[in-house]
Amino acid sequence: MTVRSTELADHRNHIPIDAPSGDQVPVRRRRIRADRIGLYGLLVVAALLALFPLLWMVSGSLQSLDELLAGKSLLPLNPKWGNYVTAWVQGDLGMYLTNSITYTLGAVAGILVASSMAGYALARLDFWGKGIFTFIILAVMIIPAPAMFLAQYRLLTDLGLTNSRLGYVLILITSGIPMGTLIMRSFFASQPKDLEEAAALDGASAVRIFASVILPLAKPGLAAVAVIQGLAAWNEYLMALVLFDDNSLMPIQRGLTSFDSAETPQQQILLAATAISIVPVIVFYLLAQRHIVKGIGAGAIK
Amino acid sequence: MPAQLAPSALRRSFRAPQGRADIRRTLLGLFFLSPAIVLIATFTITPFAQAILLSFQSWDGVSPDTPFVGWANYESVFKNEAFWASMQNVAAFAVVGFFVGNGVAITMAVAVNNVIRGKTFFRTVFYLPGVLSVVVVGLIFTSLFSPQSGTLNRLLDIAGLGTLQQNWLGDPAMALPSVIAVFIWFHWGFGFLLFLAGLQDIPPELYEAADLDGARTWAKFRYITWPQLAPVTTIVSLLTLLAALQVFGTVQVLTNGGPGYHTMVPTLQIYSEAFTNHEYGNAAAMSVVFGGALVLLSLVQLTVSARRSRA
Repeated sequence: MTVRSTELADHRNHIPIDAPSGDQVPVRRRRIRADRIGLYGLLVVAALLALFPLLWMVSGSLQSLDELLAGKSLLPLNPKWGNYVTAWVQGDLGMYLTNSITYTLGAVAGILVASSMAGYALARLDFWGKGIFTFIILAVMIIPAPAMFLAQYRLLTDLGLTNSRLGYVLILITSGIPMGTLIMRSFFASQPKDLEEAAALDGASAVRIFASVILPLAKPGLAAVAVIQGLAAWNEYLMALVLFDDNSLMPIQRGLTSFDSAETPQQQILLAATAISIVPVIVFYLLAQRHIVKGIGAGAIK
Repeated sequence: MPAQLAPSALRRSFRAPQGRADIRRTLLGLFFLSPAIVLIATFTITPFAQAILLSFQSWDGVSPDTPFVGWANYESVFKNEAFWASMQNVAAFAVVGFFVGNGVAITMAVAVNNVIRGKTFFRTVFYLPGVLSVVVVGLIFTSLFSPQSGTLNRLLDIAGLGTLQQNWLGDPAMALPSVIAVFIWFHWGFGFLLFLAGLQDIPPELYEAADLDGARTWAKFRYITWPQLAPVTTIVSLLTLLAALQVFGTVQVLTNGGPGYHTMVPTLQIYSEAFTNHEYGNAAAMSVVFGGALVLLSLVQLTVSARRSRA
C-alpha cells in the first residue's frame, strides 16, 4: 500500500510542465531536483562505503598472492576460484560452520521455548510474584557482559561445562531470554483474548491452551525473536573465546581466528575463508530482512 | 523499562496467595516462568554474585584454593595504569562513536526516508555490516589497513594523497581513531534502522501542514522531525552508548589493545588480566568497578527518560 502511494507521489512530481504557469513553479522545481540529486549522491556514497570492504574482500579472495601484494588492480584479472577450495579444506570450515549452525539452532530453540512461556505468563496470567519476576527479568538486562563473563567462566568451570557444547548453548539461551521475553510479552498483550476464553470454557487446561491455541497464533512474535536472537547467537564471540580450547567444538569465529594465527595461511586464502564464513549470515539476512528490521525495532523499543 | 511496572502489579505480587484457586494460579504462573527463571538464576544472577565475591579473593584460574584477600585486588586495580588508560580510551570510543555514529545514522535515516526509489535497497545495504561478526570485520580491516600491502594506503597513493598514508593500526597516534572508525562503520546501521522506523511513524499530516505554512527543510526537521523522534533518540542513545562502552571484539581482533595500551579498552583489559596474566581476582575487581559504572549509567539514563516521558 505504501509502495503504491509513493509511486503516485513520484509520478505527480514528474509531471512535465512545459509552459511555466507562474514565476515560482520552475524555480521551485529546479530546487527540488537539485535536492534530489544531492540526496541520491549522499546515499550512493554511503552505500559504497558500506559495501567497499566486503567487495574488496571478495576481490582479494580471487587473486593470487602476488597480485594481492602488488595491488595492481582492484579487480581479479584472472579469478582463482581454487582459493575457495583451499580455504574450505585447510581452514576446516565445514566443521566450524556445522558447530555454529548447531549452537545457533540450539540457542534459538531454547530461547523460543523459555521466552514464549515466560512472556505468556507475564502478559496473561495473574499470580503471586508476577511483579517481582517481571522486575528481575528487566533488571538482568542491564547487567553488562563485562561484569559477567569472568564469573560465568568460573561457574562453568565448577560445573565442568567449559569445552562443552551444552555449556555454551545454555549461556547463549540465558543471554537471549530477557529480550525474548519482553518481545513475547508485548506480543501476547496485544492479542485478543477471545480464543483463549472460548477454549477455557470448553474445559481445556492452561498448558493445552498455550500449546494448541496461543502458540500457533504467535508466529510473528516468535519469528521476530528467532531472527534477532539467531543473529546474536551466530555472531557471539566473547564467551566462545573464553569457553573453548578444543578446536573441534569452536564456532566459525573462533575457527577463523585460529586459522589466522596458528597456521599463518596466505592472505588470499584467509580472505576466501572469511568470505565463505559470511555466506550463511548474508543469505539469512537477505531472506529474513523484514523480520530482522521488525525484530530489532521490537527488541529495542519494547 | 522498570518504570513500566505499575504500582498495583507490584502490590499484588507481594500479597501472599490465599485459597486453593489462588495457589493453583500461582503454581501455573511459576510453571510457565520456570525455564526462564531457572536459567537466569543459574547463569546470570549466581555469576553476578560470584563476580563480586571473587573480587575479594585471589584465584589463578586453576587451583581449588581461592583465599580471601580483602580489598587488595581493588587497591591494585586503582594503581593499575593500564586499566585507567583503558577507561580513557573507552571514553573516547563512547563520545566519538556516539556523536559521529548517531549523526551518520540520523542523517542517513532522513535521507532514505525522503527518497522514493531504492528505499529497501539502501536500508538493506546500510544495515549489512551490522550482521557480520567482529572477527570478519576485524580480518577485513586488518588487510585493508596493512601498512605495506594495504589497499587504503595504495588508494591514497593513487589519489595523489601519498602524504596521508599511515601505519593505521600500528602508529600510537592513529590506532585509536582507526579502530573507532571501524567500530562506527560496523555499528551505525543499528541506530539507522531505529531512526528510520521512527521517521516512518511520524504522521505525514504534520509535514503537509508545515508545507502549507511554507516551512523550509531545516525548520521542518527542527520543529517536527526532531521532537517527534525524541523517544527513539533516547533509546538509541542509551543502547549505542552502552554498546560502545562494552566494545571488545573489534579491538581484540584489530589491535589486541596495542600498540602499547593505546587502544586498550576495559573489557579487553579484564579479559587479558584473567586469561593472559591469570590474575582472576584483579580481573573480577575490574569487572565490578567497570560493570558497576555501566549499571549506574543505565539506571541514570532510564530514570531521566522515564521522568521526561511522564512530564
